[in-house]
Amino acid sequence: MESKKTSSKIGVYICECGPNIADNIDIDTIIARLPSLEEYQNKELVVKRYKLLCSNEGKEFLENEIRENEFTHLVVAACSPRDHDTTFINVCKKTQLNPYLYKMVNIREQCAWIIPDKEKATEKAIRYIRAATSRVLKQSELIEKQLDIDPGVLVIGGGISGIETALSLAGKERKVYLVEKSSELGGKMNMFKELLPRQNGNRDIIEKKIEEVKKNESITIFLETELESAVGFLGNFEISLKNIKNNQPGAEFTVGAIVAATGFRLTDTGKLAQYKYSKESEVYTSLEIENMIKRDGKIVLKSGKEPESVGLIHCVGREEKGYCSQICCNYMLKFISFLQQQSDSIKIKDFYRDMCLPHKEDQGFFEEVKNKGADFIRISDVKIKGTHVEYTPIGKDKKEVDVDMVILAPAMEPEKGTEELAELFNVPLSETNFFQEEHQQLNPVETSIEGIFIVGACHGPAGISESMLQAQAASGKISTRLIPGKKIVPEVKVSEIMEDFCMGCRTCMDICSYGAITFDGELSVCVVNEAICRGCGNCAGSCPSGAIRAKHFTSAQIYQEIIEAIR
Amino acid sequence: MKPEGKDNFTPKIVGYLCNWCTYAAADMAGSSKLEIAPELTVIKVMCSSRIDFNMVLTTFFNGADGILIGGCHPGDCHYDKGNYYTRRRFALFKDIMKILKLDPERLQLSWISASEGNRYAEVVNSFTEKIKKLGPNPLNGNPYF
Repeated sequence: MESKKTSSKIGVYICECGPNIADNIDIDTIIARLPSLEEYQNKELVVKRYKLLCSNEGKEFLENEIRENEFTHLVVAACSPRDHDTTFINVCKKTQLNPYLYKMVNIREQCAWIIPDKEKATEKAIRYIRAATSRVLKQSELIEKQLDIDPGVLVIGGGISGIETALSLAGKERKVYLVEKSSELGGKMNMFKELLPRQNGNRDIIEKKIEEVKKNESITIFLETELESAVGFLGNFEISLKNIKNNQPGAEFTVGAIVAATGFRLTDTGKLAQYKYSKESEVYTSLEIENMIKRDGKIVLKSGKEPESVGLIHCVGREEKGYCSQICCNYMLKFISFLQQQSDSIKIKDFYRDMCLPHKEDQGFFEEVKNKGADFIRISDVKIKGTHVEYTPIGKDKKEVDVDMVILAPAMEPEKGTEELAELFNVPLSETNFFQEEHQQLNPVETSIEGIFIVGACHGPAGISESMLQAQAASGKISTRLIPGKKIVPEVKVSEIMEDFCMGCRTCMDICSYGAITFDGELSVCVVNEAICRGCGNCAGSCPSGAIRAKHFTSAQIYQEIIEAIR
Repeated sequence: MKPEGKDNFTPKIVGYLCNWCTYAAADMAGSSKLEIAPELTVIKVMCSSRIDFNMVLTTFFNGADGILIGGCHPGDCHYDKGNYYTRRRFALFKDIMKILKLDPERLQLSWISASEGNRYAEVVNSFTEKIKKLGPNPLNGNPYF
């Protein structure tokens, strides 16, 4: 054996995790065996055990050990890195050791707890530790950079979602730019006179909020304006606006995050054969009824007379769209309640397929309306010819009825321009054409591009309360991520393209989910924008010339791990 | 190298698990204390799409008898669509394995979400059984290069 020592000194610390690891892994055997192994013969190795490394005493112990032994590399064999990787990274950060020269090995969930045979569990733990020590020697220091941020936020859409977001975020140290394409704030809520009865329902809510927005000195409002371009990443987006009226370039400024609150529109019933009607017939969409209530204070026919019988049809376009719009059943109940107040003798026929009553108060409201005499008919099929309704109750034969007025509840779809906006941001749309959130549970109000958020009905059918909920959720996320005066540390385990090997095929550019890769035409190579890259390594896996290194997951590092893992 | 007999053969299996789903499932299987075959050694990658063919080859050439790739279910990728790329590359890996006269059954791709600890245990145990039946990797000690 060679006795020559290299300059590297590796520390291997094995956590007993109370009885969790110690009971089923023979730690003393590991401590005795490791130094005798071939690969450690020309290296300095320190192997020690400790009862609970994640405890305060444990962390202090480890910190002192790293300092005193002047380790160049560290391996901690303990629980899952999902539990305590960050704990030990933070310990490293207090010392001279770069945290990317440390590696955690999971000998609890992957050895002690799943292999009943103590000898086999110990053997496997040794294999893992060997793989980690040889990998850690191939790891390189990574230096975390600190970037200045702009805490400002751009909100696109001046409806209730956008207004709520702006109000939640605007403050002394955070500017909010609220962009609205129409000539007034309020969005769809401007069409409503009354909200659902339980929402104490009138326009005060929106009017008060609009006033607050106008009064707030930290909010700049841009009406009849749209977004022209947005370039950058979380903390630093360069924004240019465009004036819609004169098609002239508008303001330019920097923000740290962008919130899309562009809302919805109703699907075009003219495109659905079974709901075709002429403009002269007494058939109305829900938004037309809302407008009528706001304008006239009541629901009336074109002649000005109140209808004596009304047919309401739910789920218009649901089948074609493939999703439930969630809010329609509730507002149809609102209309029925309104009609019942308008006339005691009114005949209501409500044609529904499924009743969607998602909130805790909804069922009570439904029963109240039903008890007042509205006729709810569950149907499998419906068709109108003007106000002549042909319908098939579930399990029964086709029937028909004539009513004075028909109210349709068309499906909600994303507002016009959503697709263009998604393209501009390079964020995906879902199959339903609404914006796609990064993850339904883990990150429900942010898109796959860090720093671009989606709230309200542009994200999927949502009522007023859900929209406000999402607005507040996104605001919470933004205010914890973009703290005025604080810097952010972008991911360092990112990809890197080696210019000499890149042949400029741009495969990586096409597959990157985040638009982190651009093409340098002059050098004819691809370049990674490290501030945007999330470090998934897909580009490294795709590169036909092996020009991409996924830092901290390089081929050399992984190969080293493999060789030991299957030695 | 002397090939071992099939009966007392202890296979060497590498499991490439994505950090967000399958690695978490392995943790869950661990905390549920499910019994899992010890032959599989886990190597964590951030996303299953990091795995390229060189990695698969290197693993087989260094003597692995089987490789399990674990990723998030389609549509659930933490990085939006990485696992769709994994799926495409996987089809390619299998084709090239045939050319190298390696039984494509030695390579398996499984979608296992963070909550599927039980499924993780089942997949690892049945894959280990399958590799035991297939016997040692014929390329072991006889690499092409």
